[in-house]
Amino acid sequence: MYELKAIDKKFPGVHALKAVDFKIGRGEIVGLVGENGAGKSTLMKVIYGAYKPDGGTVTIDGTAVRFQNPRQAMDHGIGMVFQEQSLITNLTVMENIFLGFEQQFVKFGVINWKTMAAAAKAQLAKVKLDIDPATITANLSFAQRQLVELAKVLTLEERIDGDLVILLDEPTSVLAKEEVELLFKLVRELTNRASFIFVSHRMDEVLELSDRVYVMKDGAVVDVVTRDAANIDAIQHKMVGRDIDKEYYREQWQKPYGDEVLVSFGNVSLNGRYKDISFDLHRGEVLCLVGTEGSGREAILRTVFGLDKPDTGTVTIKGEPVTRFHARGGVERGIGYVPRERKVEGIVAGMNVYENMTLSQMGNYASGGVLRISEEKDMARSWIDRLGIKTPNVYKDCGGLSGGNQQKVVLAKWRSGGSDIILLDHPTRGLDIGAKEDVYDMVREMCDDGVGIILVADTLEEAIGLSHSILVLKDGEMQKRFDGTPGDKPSLYDLVHHMI
Amino acid sequence: MDFERIKPHLPWITLLALVALVGISDTNFLRPQNLISMAADIVPLFIMAMGMTFVIYIGGIDLSAQSMANMTTVIATVALASFGIGAALICIAIGAIMGAISGFVTTKLLVPSFVSTLAIGGVVFSIGQWLSGQRALYMDATLRDNAFGWMVGNTAGIPHEIFIGTVLVLAGWFLQTRTTFGRALKAIGAGEPAAAASGINVTRIKIMAFALSGGLAAIAGLLFAVKLSGGSPTIANGFLLPAIVAVLVGGTPLTGGVGGVINTMIGTLIVAVIRSSMLYFEIDATRQQMVFGIILIVAIAATIDRSKLRVVK
Repeated sequence: MYELKAIDKKFPGVHALKAVDFKIGRGEIVGLVGENGAGKSTLMKVIYGAYKPDGGTVTIDGTAVRFQNPRQAMDHGIGMVFQEQSLITNLTVMENIFLGFEQQFVKFGVINWKTMAAAAKAQLAKVKLDIDPATITANLSFAQRQLVELAKVLTLEERIDGDLVILLDEPTSVLAKEEVELLFKLVRELTNRASFIFVSHRMDEVLELSDRVYVMKDGAVVDVVTRDAANIDAIQHKMVGRDIDKEYYREQWQKPYGDEVLVSFGNVSLNGRYKDISFDLHRGEVLCLVGTEGSGREAILRTVFGLDKPDTGTVTIKGEPVTRFHARGGVERGIGYVPRERKVEGIVAGMNVYENMTLSQMGNYASGGVLRISEEKDMARSWIDRLGIKTPNVYKDCGGLSGGNQQKVVLAKWRSGGSDIILLDHPTRGLDIGAKEDVYDMVREMCDDGVGIILVADTLEEAIGLSHSILVLKDGEMQKRFDGTPGDKPSLYDLVHHMI
Repeated sequence: MDFERIKPHLPWITLLALVALVGISDTNFLRPQNLISMAADIVPLFIMAMGMTFVIYIGGIDLSAQSMANMTTVIATVALASFGIGAALICIAIGAIMGAISGFVTTKLLVPSFVSTLAIGGVVFSIGQWLSGQRALYMDATLRDNAFGWMVGNTAGIPHEIFIGTVLVLAGWFLQTRTTFGRALKAIGAGEPAAAASGINVTRIKIMAFALSGGLAAIAGLLFAVKLSGGSPTIANGFLLPAIVAVLVGGTPLTGGVGGVINTMIGTLIVAVIRSSMLYFEIDATRQQMVFGIILIVAIAATIDRSKLRVVK
């Protein structure tokens, strides 16, 4: 029995876990659901030892434990199968399986590859994967890699005497339907030795597999339901705190877009990234690129921003064909980029609010290279008012603002500089609900101002709710284009169907 | 009160504490005359350290500064005869060009700055050796006084080096806080990916920072040459370590993004006080580099921003 009591975890500006109680018994499969930012991944990190909780206790079979790192958690039988796969792709399968535990195969300082291969074969048999352990991992499919990850975690069976707890973080997100069923069958069979914590945002899958489901919202567990008593709508209501309605994505604000084409792709291809992509982005339009990781969404954004030169096809920005691709091209053409890694590429932590806001357009606030700092501050103050940025003053270090306010600073940077094409890469990632809604409001406002937006959304619901047009990509190729007219939006199923 | 909040104030607190400490053990140290001459002596080191500040501020390092100053003493001495005060311009231009080459090698050929500047340092050191024929050269006294006498005089009891240092620190501070170049340096030091994504020409700004460092190292060398009335390719040896120490104890960490020229001024004064205190405490001069080596390690360990480091190689 693994138990968490009153676990608390705080980060600067975020109370990520609030007195969370959680337990999992022998051979049990427990589901964990919640919206992005509800605290699922923080909870998982506490469980497998990546974060130390600020308060509360962790016990295994009644004994209190406190992990300093994931390795210690592993020594207590807790293993993690990562969503963003943790395998090192240029190593062989067996090297990955025993990474960090090669010592058992070492004799006289030399690794005995034969015994390692045999041991790896035995691990792979547990997950019913019949491949050569000497295969380079990069040559495996995603589904196979997922199973190798599981096999890697299952080496704990031999190393640990007690029970195992295995965390599965969104294990099905890249799998096809049949592969999901295989995985589920496997997990059920393995419950004689291990219990599982299954995290997914696909409610039907969670209910199908789990004995009990924990529902999280805003860092707290708001409900625990058994499978028999579970009801998808009720859980969803608890998760979001209200019915999921059209209001959330501001669909009633969505207006038809204009005629002027801002970005035009004509049969554009970039070898290894995307192939034969064509679309037009108009003024006031939100165009969303949908697909799994590696489907080419981000690569297309990079080309629009002027970073990666395509091999063939024509890219036209505001009527001008783009011939030169370099890091500053996008900014010069009036394109603003709101990156996924907000703290790395979005804001400069260590610089204050006005310094961040003028970073892309210092020339507008300088004469002969000398800055007109009072003008910078005036501009910053007006955008702080306009976007409701919560900061004590313009001198506040942006690194100390909350995620939502950092995002607003990034948007203010581009908007104040007059960018009329905005690329949003996972703009709501890691934000709490209120901050997400602020971002949705800003998206609609920008459309009203005639800005064209290309969006890579954090969730499919977000993609559907916000967009005028949705392009579904798979393996770098465009599968389907959907119109997102309010009242006639495509369903989740429509999109997923073309994604995998 | 936690350490992170005191950290920015540590340099000047350290400086005052050191001055008080040495002053208590020997009150002669606190005589204005002594303090002034100590400050004047340290100006060449300060100029070199200030140049290096710009490079460290963007997360790089300039190991060529000492060799650059060495070479400049030779060039200044050789050029004085034909160009008079124009020799100064030649020195600064050569320093800036060699610095820009370091910057080019770092940003375009992607050679880490500690290697590129070490290599360029080797090149300029050799140029100095070759130009001087490996001998100490001397300036003609009249020529020197006509062209550069103003650099080393005294006005109202204050050595002119102090004025030079003051003008340069004010100029450096203006550059750092008031210009687009300074702002871009800060952005690159604190968050290069975001600076690049905002359309800042990172390569150009970095090359300019290295050129600035080279140019200032040349000014330091020029001041040496004038003070000592001659040049030699080894005259500034032993200055590199204290210059780096001055930048780091001043509060510009190797990871960049915070600190700046005022910090380096305080850091240089700390170095000056430590140096003179070694005289007062009768520590042998041969142990100076040892002391600075240890201080450097402590200063880096205490100030480096570990959140910016993933792997140290």
